[in-house]
Amino acid sequence: MSNSLPTWLDPSPWLNRIFSAAEVQRALGAESPDEKTLAALLSPAAADFIEPMAARAQALTRRHFGRTIQLYVPLYLSSFCPGGCAYCGFASDRDTERHKLSFDQVETELAALKKMGLEEILLLTGERTPQADFDYVLKCVELAANHFHKVTIEVFPMSEKEYGQLAEAGCTGVTLYQETYHPQTYQQMHRWGPKSEMLERIDAPGRALGGGLRFAGLGALLGLADPQFDLLALYRHVRHLQKTRWQAGLSISFPRIQNEAGGFTAPHPVSEQQLAQFVFAFRICLPDVPLVLSTRESAAFRDGMAGLGCNKMSVASKTTVGGYGDVGSDEGQFDVNDNRDVTTFCTMLRERKLEPVFKNWDAAYR
Amino acid sequence: MNLTVNGESHEHAGTIAALLSELGANPEYTAITVNGDLVFSKDWNNFKFSDGDSVEVLTFVGGG
Amino acid sequence: MKSEVRNQKSEVGTQKLILGGVEFTSRLILGTGKFSDTQTMIQAIEASGTELVTVALRRFNRDKPDDDLCAPLAKLKNVKLMPNTSGAMNAKEAVRAAQLGRELSGSPFVKVEIHPNPHHLMPDAIETYLAAKELAADGFIVLPYIPADPVLAKKLEDVGCAAVMPLGAAIGSGGGLSTAEMIKLIIRDSNIPVIVDAGLRAPSEAARAMEMGCDACLVNSAIAAANDPSGMARAFALGVKTGFAARQAGLMPKSEVAVASSPLTSFLS
Repeated sequence: MSNSLPTWLDPSPWLNRIFSAAEVQRALGAESPDEKTLAALLSPAAADFIEPMAARAQALTRRHFGRTIQLYVPLYLSSFCPGGCAYCGFASDRDTERHKLSFDQVETELAALKKMGLEEILLLTGERTPQADFDYVLKCVELAANHFHKVTIEVFPMSEKEYGQLAEAGCTGVTLYQETYHPQTYQQMHRWGPKSEMLERIDAPGRALGGGLRFAGLGALLGLADPQFDLLALYRHVRHLQKTRWQAGLSISFPRIQNEAGGFTAPHPVSEQQLAQFVFAFRICLPDVPLVLSTRESAAFRDGMAGLGCNKMSVASKTTVGGYGDVGSDEGQFDVNDNRDVTTFCTMLRERKLEPVFKNWDAAYR
Repeated sequence: MNLTVNGESHEHAGTIAALLSELGANPEYTAITVNGDLVFSKDWNNFKFSDGDSVEVLTFVGGG
Repeated sequence: MKSEVRNQKSEVGTQKLILGGVEFTSRLILGTGKFSDTQTMIQAIEASGTELVTVALRRFNRDKPDDDLCAPLAKLKNVKLMPNTSGAMNAKEAVRAAQLGRELSGSPFVKVEIHPNPHHLMPDAIETYLAAKELAADGFIVLPYIPADPVLAKKLEDVGCAAVMPLGAAIGSGGGLSTAEMIKLIIRDSNIPVIVDAGLRAPSEAARAMEMGCDACLVNSAIAAANDPSGMARAFALGVKTGFAARQAGLMPKSEVAVASSPLTSFLS
């Protein structure tokens, strides 16, 4: 079966394991946290230890990242997509009107974002289509690299050669969520289109790093499958890349499907409490890996999580194509729950004694 | 002919085995270089010294 | 370039140490320098239970033919030789020394050590890397002695080393595991065995290294310079075994004393 997980990624051995409170406590004090530590801290038994987990996560976040939060902003380039992702507002069977930014419109949007003071931009499209193909992404990367220090992409999986061309054009990183590592769920959710090839997607971050991109952001879309399964496999994926692509800068995001958002009901809904527990668990087990929280989450939750495990956040996001400058379309990929502008968000961070960081990588290094 | 063996002048005209015997070295536990090149033990029988050759006779000693 | 299959780290839970595809039951490697005499050294090797010892290459000394260790070492069953490259000032000399060592020992193992400064004997990372790369390509089972540098360790893995051997402290210093934090980082991302080499003074330090996740320890001075080298060799063997067993059993965590003055998670409704 082409869509079964390779052994190195398969977390199944942990899934029937029931952890006791004593094991969670042991995990909290582990000297060299490992997969078992993570399994214990993700387990239901760890829910009772949320406060000590938060304390440990905060201490580790401060030690490795200081009192800072890195900021980035997404720019949706195109909503054309041949994909059949059951949970996505841009799936090809949704009757939303499709848009794509012209290069002039991209310039307008970039200028608007630059004016807000942002320096790290994430360019997004759907799966590969004639409307938004590799050459289109390449051109948009070039345009963005003229203005922004750090340009990353969240588009479709590519060949190593294509990633190399993007790196040449000024792209520094790729975000590519596996969505779910659970093979059966993956097949159910990705009903058609290029994304239905699960292993092709799993290998893509490695190809991106091999092609010359410096950063890879991984994640699982929480809510699709058993979160224990997805998060342990995600951990394995990250550890694999740490060991095989040791120069890579890796980060982990925690996108969560909120019930009923976009008309899709998550089969395995994850609560805020669980999400916080998961973030703390990852911080404890991977203390130096940036952990990202987007504007999918509410302002109150993001405020609470800032510096408490998470050290990187999107800000002022629009999930519609365009939307920052003159261009705008109505329907986004998902609902944004934190609509604050850059100034308001930074004021909140500073009140919490956190420094917003717009730029910690200079394009001059390139 | 005159050879330099481990930095010292040494008159010798025979084979490598004969040289080791003169020095009191066990051929089984000895490596030889001549003018910086390793002479493999399988080639010892056919090896002919030339006048002025610089020979190193090496063995193992204690080391960490 | 990926490490070859033969250089894979042994699976968690397995008892054997695997170096370049060769299995070892003992996780203690002994150096043979600095002993008062050959007899004492041989006894210490036997007492330690080691299966791998390092030796150095020197000019044959006709005035002291007994310095030759080959004959007494050859009598020891189950002990493999690992010639080192000590004395080499750069990669070129180390490669030559390794080739001579292989000719003499018939062993594919080599400990690459290049320390141009005769006082502190700190390894030269750059020359060590160049020599290790060349020797691994030439089929040697390469174990480089290195500064406790996680980046260098990964680069050496990439060029096909069978293990990396970061120093705990300066050679012969007895400084212990002064590089513990760096060694932990090396262990975390390494796909090949990590062996602490140099600096250990007490068996408890060897135990600590193994508890941290090291795959083996290389000890010389601490045994050779002890009042009773055989007794100390036995003690180090126990230390290494104890630490390895503790690692497998899983250490109890340190207690967490961090309690926030006001709850951090009150925002979670």
